[in-house]
This record gives sequence, C-alpha cells and structure tokens, in this order.
Amino acid sequence: MVGKNKSLNNIAVDINKVTKRYRIYHEKIPSLKNTILRGKRTTYEEFLALDDISFSIKYGETFGIIGPNGSGKSTLLKLISNIIQPNSGKINIDGTVSALLELGAGFHADLTGRENIYINSAILGMRKREVDKKFDQIVRFSELEKFIDTPVKNYSSGMYMRLGFSIAINVNPDILLVDEVLAVGDQSFQAKCYKAIYDIMKRGKTIIIVSHDLETISDLCSRVAFLKEGKIVDLGNPIRVVSQYRAYVEELEKKRAGDQQKEERKKIFKTVIESNRKVVDGEDIEKLSRLGSEQTIKRFGSGDAMIADIRLLDENENKLDYCKYGDEVKVALDIKFNRKVESPIFGIRITDVKDNIVYGTNTRTNNLKTKVYDNGESLRVEFAFKVTLIGGNYHVTPAVGYKDSKTYCDWINNMLTINVLKNEKAEGIANLNSKITIEKIS
Amino acid sequence: MIANIRKLFSYRELIVSLTKKELKVKYRGSALGFFWSLLNPILTMLVYSFVFSIVLQVGTPEFAIFLICALLPFNFLSNSVNYGASSIIANSNLVNKIYFPREIIPLSIILANLFNFLLELAALFIVMGIMGYRFYIYLYLLPVVIFIQFFLVVGMTLLVSALNVFFRDLQHLITIIMMVWFFGTPIIYPLSMVPEEYQFIIKINPMTIYAAYYRNIFYYVKYPEDAGFPLLWETLSALGITLLIFFIGYFVFKKLEPRFAEEI
Repeated sequence: MVGKNKSLNNIAVDINKVTKRYRIYHEKIPSLKNTILRGKRTTYEEFLALDDISFSIKYGETFGIIGPNGSGKSTLLKLISNIIQPNSGKINIDGTVSALLELGAGFHADLTGRENIYINSAILGMRKREVDKKFDQIVRFSELEKFIDTPVKNYSSGMYMRLGFSIAINVNPDILLVDEVLAVGDQSFQAKCYKAIYDIMKRGKTIIIVSHDLETISDLCSRVAFLKEGKIVDLGNPIRVVSQYRAYVEELEKKRAGDQQKEERKKIFKTVIESNRKVVDGEDIEKLSRLGSEQTIKRFGSGDAMIADIRLLDENENKLDYCKYGDEVKVALDIKFNRKVESPIFGIRITDVKDNIVYGTNTRTNNLKTKVYDNGESLRVEFAFKVTLIGGNYHVTPAVGYKDSKTYCDWINNMLTINVLKNEKAEGIANLNSKITIEKIS
Repeated sequence: MIANIRKLFSYRELIVSLTKKELKVKYRGSALGFFWSLLNPILTMLVYSFVFSIVLQVGTPEFAIFLICALLPFNFLSNSVNYGASSIIANSNLVNKIYFPREIIPLSIILANLFNFLLELAALFIVMGIMGYRFYIYLYLLPVVIFIQFFLVVGMTLLVSALNVFFRDLQHLITIIMMVWFFGTPIIYPLSMVPEEYQFIIKINPMTIYAAYYRNIFYYVKYPEDAGFPLLWETLSALGITLLIFFIGYFVFKKLEPRFAEEI
C-alpha cells in the first residue's frame, strides 16, 4: 500500500549475510609515536558484534529488535543508518533513514533551543523550509515554549531529551530507527511519544525499534528479532519471540543469582527479607535449604517470630569479626515475636563453604524447655561454644521452629559468616587437635 | 567524486547550518563578537611590527601592512588545519549517532574560517583605504587566489582531520608543522631576502606563491618598484602541488571515513 512507487519486492531494509567485527585496541589511544617507534600498527583484538545476519524488513512494518546487552542490537541499527560499515555482507536500504539513536546528539550547549532546532534538523536531513513550517509544531510538542530562546545548557536533562525527541519525530523519514529513546520525560510526555510513534506507524512508515521494554515491543511490533551474541535466535511473531526472550532472561537471572550467592558466601552478609514467606513442611526443609544454596531461597517461614539480628560475640559480649581455634565464642540471635508462639524451637546450623553441615543444634535436641511468647516480645538466644574449627569461612543458618519441629516461623540461610583464622597445623573442617607421639616398636 | 560532490550539494543546508553554528559559537557571549577575532591578527601585527620596525629596524616601509596582507591568508590556512585536526573527534557524538558525509565537519570549520578571513580582509580594505593604498587595482585577482588557496586548505584539513582520528598525538605535531610552515613562508620577511640557493625550497611551498600574490595585490601597489608577480612556472607548480594535496587529503579522508564511528 505504501511503497507503490518503491521497488517491486516491497523490501525497505535488506540485510544479507552481514558480519561486523569491532577492533578492541590494546592501548587506549593509538598514537603516531608508537606506530613510528615500533614500526607497526597498534595491536588489537577483534570482537564479533554481528555474525552472518540475514533478514529483511518490508515497507510499513514495525520491526522490533530485542536481546541482552552486547548482543549487537545497536550495531545493527548503526549499520542500517550507515554510521558504520559491515566487514562483509550487504545492506540494502530503500528510502530515507532517520535514526533516533541518541536524542539531542549534536546539540550545542551555548546555543538556544531555537538555534539547536535548526541545526539538529539540518543534521537529521531536514530542509530549512520544512523546519520553518514545522517549527511551532516542534516547540509545542516539546512543551518548551517558554525556554525556546534559552541556551540549552540551562535545560534540565528532561527538557533536553524532550526537545531532541520533538525534533527527531518531525523529520518524517521513510524508515525510522528508534534506539531506547522512548523513555523520555514524565508519564504524560511518554504517552505523547508513543502516540507520535503510532502516528508514524499509521502513516505506513517503516519503523525499527530496539528496546528492553518488552511490553512496548510486543505492543507495537509486527515482527520481532531476538539477538544474542551477534546471532539471531528467533525472528517472527512478537508474542512467541518475546516470551522466548523472557525465558532466556529468567534463566540468566537465576544463574546470576546463584553466582551472586556464591559470591556473597565469601563475605559477611545479612539476608534480604523475601517478601513471600510461606510455611514449609519439615521434610522439605532439607531439600529447600539445599536448593537455597543454588537458587534464590534464602529465607522462609511464617513470620510469627522473626530473626532480627545475628552476631558473633566473645565471652565479654564484644562483637567479633573473626575468631581462632580455641576461642570461646557465642552466636547471639535477636528474635522478635509478631504473634503468640508456644514452645518454639531455636536452632542454628553451621555449614562450610561447600555447604557441608559442620554442626547443628537446637533447644529441642538439648532438652531445653521454651515458654509461650507473646506478640511484641523480643528474645536474645545465645549459643556458646569453643571454636574447634579449621581456619576458613563458615556460615551460620539460624532458625525458629514451631514445637512440631516441622514448620518454621523463620529460617534464614547463611545469615552470618564466621571467619576462623587459618591455623596451619591441620586441614579439613574440624580441628580434633590430636596429640602426636612417636614411639619405637621393639 | 562527482557523485560525492552531488551528495554534498544535497547536504548544503547542513553545511551552511554547521558553518553558522561555528561562527555563532565563536562570537557568542561577547558583544564585541567579531572584534575579538580581529584582535588576534592586530596583536600579532603590532608585536611583529615592533620587533621588526623598531627593534631590528628592517627597512620595509609600513611593515604592518606588509605583514598583515600575508598573515591573514596564512591564518586562514593554519586556523583551519589546527581546528580541523580535532574536529572529527570533537564531534564524536554526531559521528557516532547520525549519518551524514563526514567531510561536512571539517568543511564547516574551513568555511567559518573563510568567512572570518573575508571579514578581516574587509577590515583591511578600510585601513588601507585610509592609508592611501590603491588596493583595488589588482582586486580582480583576489577571488582567484582565494579560490585556489581554498583547495590547499581543504586538502590539508581533510588530511589531518582524518589521520587525527587514528593517531591522536598528530595534533601536537601539527602545531609544530604549522609553525615551521609559517616561518617557511615569506610572511614576516620578503622573498627577496631569502638567499638565492634557498629560494627554490621556499618556492616549492605553494603558500609562498600565494603570499606573493596577496602582497602584490595589496601592499606593492604603493611600492610598484619592488613588486613582481610570481613567474608562470612558479604559479603552475604551486597550483599543481595544491591540487596534489587536495586529492591526497580527499582520498585519504574518504578511505578512512567509514571507520571513523568505531575508532572514536
């Protein structure tokens, strides 16, 4: 319908086996001095940004590109807008291209909004006559009527972006490239931006959008490409491709959370309160706490009693950052009751960095009777012991259980890390402190 | 190249717009605006006049005019080259985000400098008119000389602006080169003072020939006995070298242009 006067096949953008490599220089800035002194070009590594990509976009299509950071999305837009050249392959563009890669690129701080409108429009390829005609429209859209003769250096970043968007949206190209620039200004201005994009769509223009905002992408686009590490993972129906990307992101996040947790284990940390706490069966505890080391479950329980703080103390109640073999120490828990709980069980579990249980104990196994505690009551529970551990980091998991010893008020995985100073005399987990004697056997 | 010129023509409004921007930014924030741009050549003129006429007592009459009519064209060259060298990097936000023929950036700087140069010449005409110079006799030659010099300026500026993207320390070198070039051009001294055996080297420099033209057009109208337009072969050699530099600059720029965005 649109490209009647265009080429017959109705293709606006054709990407054919395009590969793009970037050079990453070993030195920060290549210099003539080094080139001459060494007699060779600066050394560099190549980074494959796009790997043999092929697809085409038809006239009037709104095409979305999604993918994680560094997947080549922006590179693709830069190639289409002719800012950079591919190392191999061909890109055919039919029509004028305008790229909203950065709003207000080329604004000059010392010049006024009015002057910048003219210069920026010229940079984006508009004729002065067109700008004259659209000037009021641009200013009205930006809502900057009062500030249009103020140098843009006095603009807020929001005003700056608004002016940039207003200019760019009025360029009226055949093909519009949009890179993460829809999140401009406040809610009402964003709504205006979307409407402007919709209007361009309605006029049958070709739009290519790169965004992390998956809602927008699936809303606006007729087709979506999912890029990863310079390759197209999937291309087509927005709902399918977006959900595939979502699954990928979730997977990635899980992995990242797992890594992060491993990282955190090395440090002393306090667990973040998980919002959805639930009562879990005692049998599942073991499994869950195991899972917790790999996944994100760090805390669970009903919340009737909550562990507010955990500290490692010496005999004189001084807080310790570390301890060593033979020290008499205490693990102190501060517990606050949010509801009446009858005969709860207080316990700790000490694990090593590989998640082996080193030691676990609680009030029940020690035949210690606990009372009924009311809402608002606070307790201090202390576990005193002699450090008989080999040097290294150990994690303490405190828990408050119900008297059935199956369900829990609160359980926080690895809430405290104990750093036991290295002692070269032994290896392993427990320091059994053996006496060594040597005797001759007759 | 012809296709490219046609393309540049389609971008003429951007060229005009960016040139205006250069000028606006230069004169912005000072009511005296253009006056400041005159200050530099005036001060240079005063300093050199003091040194040469009063301290060294060189016998050149009205040394200030003698100097300025060669100094202004040279400033056109050196300002363009010096500012042009860093122009691509200075506009990295544009180069990285928007496509347009990149030569427009150095070109707009050259045009702004040309505009400045013409204004300075206009100011010079007024001064010379008051001092009784009949500078209008050969004035018809002036556009031709400026036109030819323009190609030299474009060639040099394109060359250094492109190379500077890849070798950032080139800027420092350029400052030195321009200083050597300044003293290698008969600006503060007449060509006749150069010993015979060095004249050849000085004359390879196309700016020598252009400076001679400028000086004949302006200064020597008052001292016709010392006047002497460059010989035909000298003019042709300057023209040839100018075109050579222009084409080298143009092709180096065009060759390196596609990689600008990823190198800056």
